[in-house]
Amino acid sequence: MQNQHRISPGSTAGSGVLAEKQRQLGYVWGVAAPLACTMIDWPLRYWLGPASILMTYLLGVFLVASRYGRGASIVASLLSAPLFAFYFARPIFSVAIQDLENMIGLAVMIVVANVTGSLVEKSKLQAALARQREIRASALYRLSRDLAAAQDHDAVARIAVKHLQDEFGVASVLLNVDSENRLQTPSSLPLPAALKGIDLAEAQRTFENRTIKQENTIEYYPLQGSCAWQGILIIQATQPFPWQASERAAFLDTFCRLIAQTLERLQLAGQAREATLQAETEALRNALLSSISHDLRTPLTRIIGAASALIENDAELSIAERQDCNHIVLEEAQRMSELTGKLLDMARLSSGEIILHRDWNAIEEIVGSALNRLDKHLKDRPVRTLLPDNLPLLWIDAVLIEQVLLNLIENAIKYSPAGSPIDICGQAQDGYCRLTVADYGLGIARGQETQIFDKFYRGVAESDQGGVGLGLALCKAIIEAHGGVIQVSNRAGKGAEFVIRLPLREPPLVAEPEAGASVS
Amino acid sequence: MQTRRFLKSSLSHRSWRTVEADCGKTGLAMLNSENPDVVILDLGLPDMDGITVTRRLRQLSDLPILILSARSQEQNKIMALDAGADDYLTKPFGSGELHARLHALLRRVSRSFNAMEIFETGQLKVDLARRRVFLSNNEVRITPIEYRLLTILIRHAGAVVTHRQLLQEVWGAEHIQDQHYLRIYMGQLRHKLEINPARPRYLLTEVGVGYRLSINEEFMPQDGSN
Repeated sequence: MQNQHRISPGSTAGSGVLAEKQRQLGYVWGVAAPLACTMIDWPLRYWLGPASILMTYLLGVFLVASRYGRGASIVASLLSAPLFAFYFARPIFSVAIQDLENMIGLAVMIVVANVTGSLVEKSKLQAALARQREIRASALYRLSRDLAAAQDHDAVARIAVKHLQDEFGVASVLLNVDSENRLQTPSSLPLPAALKGIDLAEAQRTFENRTIKQENTIEYYPLQGSCAWQGILIIQATQPFPWQASERAAFLDTFCRLIAQTLERLQLAGQAREATLQAETEALRNALLSSISHDLRTPLTRIIGAASALIENDAELSIAERQDCNHIVLEEAQRMSELTGKLLDMARLSSGEIILHRDWNAIEEIVGSALNRLDKHLKDRPVRTLLPDNLPLLWIDAVLIEQVLLNLIENAIKYSPAGSPIDICGQAQDGYCRLTVADYGLGIARGQETQIFDKFYRGVAESDQGGVGLGLALCKAIIEAHGGVIQVSNRAGKGAEFVIRLPLREPPLVAEPEAGASVS
Repeated sequence: MQTRRFLKSSLSHRSWRTVEADCGKTGLAMLNSENPDVVILDLGLPDMDGITVTRRLRQLSDLPILILSARSQEQNKIMALDAGADDYLTKPFGSGELHARLHALLRRVSRSFNAMEIFETGQLKVDLARRRVFLSNNEVRITPIEYRLLTILIRHAGAVVTHRQLLQEVWGAEHIQDQHYLRIYMGQLRHKLEINPARPRYLLTEVGVGYRLSINEEFMPQDGSN
């Protein structure tokens, strides 16, 4: 379908030869038709009147005209006239004609031949034009379809060059323009050999003049978008274009506009993306600033207060008061340390710097380590762990997954009443390891199930619960980097339950299994 | 600077005598002149790489080395441990924690593993001469590999042993990457020796680094800041 209408120089040359043959055949018929009429009419001359015989000649001429156009029809009519005059019009065997009737008949015949021939030729020409337009339209359609899928400037350049090569067999190159209106020399696509010699300075000049320029066989087409000039298309016509000049100019004009529009679309899309990113960064920066100002300044205020009290009022403070101040300094410093740690982690994760140091790990170990590290925070809280012995090893970054568990357990401690239990369960399920950390607190407010994983989001803004609202965002980033999912839901009447699903992989075999042998 | 000042003041209060070196070269030079019992080494040195210093120290002597690392130096920390450092502390840390680690390191030196016949911590007792393991005076049957793991941890009791060291000593150099071996056997060992394997008391996991056999409950790392 696609190749059906494609003009290539070869096929155009082929059609030229065909047309020439057709023309020659027309002249042959132009001679043959009157002769045939004469041969048919000669035996019938006693039964047919001259008018009827003239009609058969007319029919012959008309048929030739309708099939082969004007040239052939004129030959036929000019040959028909003397043949009719010689054989059928009185005096017979003489080209002279006596009857006015026959003269008029012959004149009509010549006129009919001429008119019919030219009509046929005109309609043929129009058909050819229509076909050419169709070819142009379908070429442009293919181009626009390909351009619609183009994702970057290089792709557009590739498509433009390919289409010009396919449709017309001409070499071309498309130069994009940079932010300072300078043409960029293509880096990814090497200049086609035929264009090695093009003058880039000339291209730049033409681009700045905004006019189409032809120089020997090289043509420069600046690409005009709706608000800016997008680049320049340079064509090297090593062989003649198979189209008429006007058709070609119209086609190339549309072609260039299409390309310019696509380039403009890409440029605008890029700008829009950048703007969104900037807005997001801006929002994040604001959130960061506000949370830092709150969450770092509060402990700092207390540290400065306590420390200056220790220094300035040293003599007046009782031992208990002094102890108090010391504790404040320590606790607040620890809180700040935790906070800066999280901020750094988040910064590392969100700058895409995160590299997973994956290895085979037992989740039981990671849970154990996390619980050990939180021992002080957990105090007398019962932690119920349900981790089956046959839980497979996971292909994970243990340090980061421990970070996730630390955050989730800390969260559970923060948002559930002192002394209430925390449940940690694990199970293998449909190719995933499902880990849950559940508490017996108030649970998550309805509608906040996804928001709580956003950066700097907190259930209750500016609450006493410390934290910057980074912990869960960190968890989400880590779990997603592992190809897993983290979700939260409320267990009816029991509190919040965080569910992590990490994909399972076939663990490697252990080379030397011990058959339960004992050392003793 | 600030760290050294803090170390000096907090250690001198607990009757340690300290000598300071402000760079790796001085530190190595002081090794002979001062003859210390234990070295505290910060990985962020002005003149040379902390790992190189560890390696040099190890060539010169057997004395215990405690590494101080920042959070961003995770990888370096493990490399330093593999190079022969005995334990590490991640900054920021409390003086109690520092104290506990130093004590553990010195204690390990004071009772040489070879001379030790019975190792005991909490309810766990290992008879090294007879190769038998007891928990609350009940014998626990463990496999040869589990026993080897346990004895390596006992030899470094209180300090961290990296994955690499354990894999190398138990399975050999060709299995140094096979961390899953460790997971499986340490898991088995934990299930045999711990009351709650998901919250171990003896066989502690240092995630991403290695394992540590806790020698005394009052020197558990988590009571450090008290």
